Amino acid sequence: MNQAVISCLHANLPAVEAVLKDIELQGITNITCLGDLVGYGPQPNEVIELIRDKEIPTCQGCWDEDVVDGLDACDCSYPSQLAEKRGHFAHKWTTDKLTTENKDYLANLPYSIRKDKCLFVHGSPNSQHEYLLPDMDAFAALERVENARAEILFCGHTHQPYIRELADGLIAVKIKNAVPKDTQEKEIQLPMRRIVNAGSVGEPRHGGTKATYVVHNDVTNEVKIREVEYDIELTCKAIIDAGLPPIFAWRLKNGFEFAEQAEDASHVCER
Amino acid sequence: MIERWALVSGLKGDLDTYELIQKDLKKTPGNITLFVLGDMIGPEKNCNRLLHRLINPKSNDLQPWCIYGWWEEQILLESGYRGDQRAEALRINKGEEVVNSLTNAVDKSFLDWIAALQFGFVELDCGLIHGSSKDVGENLTLDTPPLTLLDRLTRLQVNRLFTARSKQQFHLELTEGIVNSEVEDLNGNRKKEQKVPQKAVIGIGAGKNYTLYDVGTDNTQFVQAGYKTEKKIKGFGRL
Repeated sequence: MNQAVISCLHANLPAVEAVLKDIELQGITNITCLGDLVGYGPQPNEVIELIRDKEIPTCQGCWDEDVVDGLDACDCSYPSQLAEKRGHFAHKWTTDKLTTENKDYLANLPYSIRKDKCLFVHGSPNSQHEYLLPDMDAFAALERVENARAEILFCGHTHQPYIRELADGLIAVKIKNAVPKDTQEKEIQLPMRRIVNAGSVGEPRHGGTKATYVVHNDVTNEVKIREVEYDIELTCKAIIDAGLPPIFAWRLKNGFEFAEQAEDASHVCER
Repeated sequence: MIERWALVSGLKGDLDTYELIQKDLKKTPGNITLFVLGDMIGPEKNCNRLLHRLINPKSNDLQPWCIYGWWEEQILLESGYRGDQRAEALRINKGEEVVNSLTNAVDKSFLDWIAALQFGFVELDCGLIHGSSKDVGENLTLDTPPLTLLDRLTRLQVNRLFTARSKQQFHLELTEGIVNSEVEDLNGNRKKEQKVPQKAVIGIGAGKNYTLYDVGTDNTQFVQAGYKTEKKIKGFGRL
């Protein structure tokens, strides 16, 4: 059976509608959302209400958490003071726009969702703010999945979709000065695990302008990255009309978002 | 001159043990640096004399380099040094009486000094911490999954991690590590075989049990204060 996993919607209603339509056209009814329903984009209430109406199980993202609890990420989240200023502006704008009911909805979202061998989180099992980048240390990546007792870890947050398979792992250990000798060394075979990043529906950072999400078949274990076109102009106009920073529209239209990408994306905010 | 580190933890206010260790170290050959990896305080006894001695070493004392441990974290939490948080884990697990004993064991005048202590030191390619690079309260032992140990080493980007929280003494080498990684994204596929160089996690013990580390040879000696140096000779499953 196919399941769709979507993430990082970022209040971009045309993108969310287009992705949900694409999922529907494939006959997929099992959808999981990895959070960040709001932030940057101009339609936070509309996106939340769409997800609520469709009763899509959703994890809490870092923006969802920050809007509820107040900004608590450290400065490292932004590559420059200007970017930080824009982020704070978007945070305040979103907080002011959200209805009390929708804030309550965000506040009550779970950090993770578990379905059999699959674990769904926004950033990592450790934190909504931790980036699991495609080329991060393979042992550290494997540790995130294994210690979460999952076989497949679905995450978002980086806005870059990927499927990473970690296989044929082995660690050999030895106790120095151990006796008897038969207890001093051992080898541990590491299990095969996968990390699947769903990319971003509402604010892609993979170098293209299309919304991305993933489809997983739980029988064959096959995972496909889907790209979906949507009416970018509509979102860009809504960003400008809302008074949000014009750069948010510019980067959607041009297909990259490096303006807001932290220099050290592996850094975990100390909060 | 041989470069040695003396790694101590879990004194919990015991000035007599600290003096025994200082006495031992005076007789130990080499150029010795003394690291105290947390838990200088605890609820069992008044800690003020030990704290005073650590802050104001006697003229013939080795200068101690201290970090904070789990008990220091508890008193900082309870004393309002961590925002609104309090020492709830301690309160739930040990009860209100132990929380009170801890706060009574340490004069408030020492709290600023405790609050200024670091989480850990990185010396050469070694991390010196109380628990783990993830959490001051994490126990790393011989039974900790090697993948977890490797992750804790990776977080600090060190090759050796000295830890105290478990109170155990051990020297576990990760002699080999390999994993194959295949990433598929919108640009295609890429495969990579990742290997790790030899790394180690060393449990330094607590209280009278401390560790001497020979920086030049990477050898550890597990020592009991007041007794002659001896090597720990235990294998898996025996600690």
